Amino acid sequence: MNRLQRSRALRWLCSLAALLALVIVLFPVYAVIVGSFESTQTLFSGTYYWLPHAATLDNYRTVIQAQSGNILTSLFVGLGTALLALVVAVPAAYALSKYRLRVTVFLVSSLLVCQIVPSIVLATSLFIVFHWIHLVNSYPGLIIADGTYAIPFAILVLRAFFFSLPNELMHAARVDGASEWQTFRRIVVPLARSAVITVAVFAFLNGWGDFIFALTILNGSGIQPITLGIYTYLGNYSTDWGAVMASAAFAMVPAGVMLVVAQRYIASGLTAGSVKG
Amino acid sequence: MKRDYAGAAPGPASAGSGAAVALGPGSPPRLSLWRRQRLAGWLFLTPAIAYLLFAFALPIVYNVMLSFEQTSPATIAHFTAPFAGLANYRFILGDPTSRTAIIHTFEFTAGSLAGQFIIGFALALLFTLRFPGRTLGRSLIIVPWLLPLIVTGVIFKFLFQLEGGAVNQILMDVGLAHQPIDWLDDPHLALWTVLIANIWLGVPFFTLLLYSALQDVPVEVKEAALMDGAGPWQRLRLVIVPIILPVIEVTFLLGFVFTVKVFDLVIGLTGGGPANATQLITTWSYNLSFQVFSFGEGAALNNVLLVLALICSPLYLLLSRGSLRRSSGAAG
Repeated sequence: MNRLQRSRALRWLCSLAALLALVIVLFPVYAVIVGSFESTQTLFSGTYYWLPHAATLDNYRTVIQAQSGNILTSLFVGLGTALLALVVAVPAAYALSKYRLRVTVFLVSSLLVCQIVPSIVLATSLFIVFHWIHLVNSYPGLIIADGTYAIPFAILVLRAFFFSLPNELMHAARVDGASEWQTFRRIVVPLARSAVITVAVFAFLNGWGDFIFALTILNGSGIQPITLGIYTYLGNYSTDWGAVMASAAFAMVPAGVMLVVAQRYIASGLTAGSVKG
Repeated sequence: MKRDYAGAAPGPASAGSGAAVALGPGSPPRLSLWRRQRLAGWLFLTPAIAYLLFAFALPIVYNVMLSFEQTSPATIAHFTAPFAGLANYRFILGDPTSRTAIIHTFEFTAGSLAGQFIIGFALALLFTLRFPGRTLGRSLIIVPWLLPLIVTGVIFKFLFQLEGGAVNQILMDVGLAHQPIDWLDDPHLALWTVLIANIWLGVPFFTLLLYSALQDVPVEVKEAALMDGAGPWQRLRLVIVPIILPVIEVTFLLGFVFTVKVFDLVIGLTGGGPANATQLITTWSYNLSFQVFSFGEGAALNNVLLVLALICSPLYLLLSRGSLRRSSGAAG
């Protein structure tokens, strides 16, 4: 085998390895989609079918009837989390990158530590605190709790981005007589659009996908996001797999949409938040 | 909250149009530029400080308080409960399930990190090579990271079923197993199953971070090593790994932090069972607080977890010092 042939063979081998990895990575998603079209009999037949066997829309009918409200709830919680994250994080990140303040080092260190705190620790306390101030079973309570996933990350990512804006920009605006707020609102925020979108996308996915705070803070009836809806289908002895798969398919929709629409924001957010932040 | 800023801002309408040096008309004239900026900086920080105090500082402090209290379902409404000394911690030390949950958390974390790093690094190296389909592969590999964790748990429960599960079907079709394996209900296997699911979940994160680090290795360095006759393994071990070591460290730390927190995945997959075989600190703490309503005991276990998670925080801060140091150099 000569050199050229060998490198060509190597390339095909790499493609094959990558393909295998992708199949493993994507198979669960595929299985959900196939499973969501299977009939209950097929799902309980004890045989796994790689392709839909006697496809039916029954599961989707069941789930749309039972979970429509929950999907709307999740959408609302996701949007609320994104909004809260932006209101809190954008000005804070600006201050932490462009103003000389004594608290900066302390606050940035605190944010790094906040990212480490496990959600169950917060959930246990927040449940009782919320109980006390009547935020249990409420949208504001859930959104404030879901913000704990998004806000430290958001501030750190946005701060890293603001460092890339030249200080001359702010100086010029001030010389032109703009107030600090106007400089922020009219010059800094528009320039930070891509970083703001990244942060909003992640905050939305955090709010949409949250389970632990929904499970603890929403104890009882009333508000129920899709993640809790799926959980209630998991019985101790038997699980309605058709309904689980169809609602899981719905729960995966935002991830799919973001992957198509906001691909570059997602990739940049994943790396920016952890290494360069 | 927007009104807070308006207090620091001069009249919005005419400000930009006036003479170049003059401040806007409504602005407090006696405030020096430096003071005005410091005030604005603090006002920009106000919502974040308020949020951090309410959503992080308060729960953490309250959790410590709870762990020293004698709680009961009736005390939830009262915010404080009678002092209990170290009773809750003594319970945790004596409770066999708490002890195994702590051990499981260590095993689970070590296993996850090892698996995620080895597979993630291999894939990152793979994606640095040129081959057809690598761009598409790279963009699709992050899918697991975007799915709600409870969904991932539920899907794996479906795939690992004893009868009719895809995993058993594949293993039997290929001939690796002669009879279906009881992944979820065998106490000796269940933790392995959760581990496999978590590795699947975390590999994309490792791949992405390590890949972007590998991209930053200068081509000249790689070429120089090649010229010096270094083989692929030598190049990796002696040239590439030392260069990207800081990123590897950060990735491990973040992986550690994500893994000690894992909750949704276990609840969806096994619910901590069978017979507490997959009970982690997080799931057992949930059980103590929200199933048995022993919030004090749950809080004590939470503090064990918190200490465990925070042990690495000095290291994390040290590794992030670049970003911290930059803050002191920021010009106003």
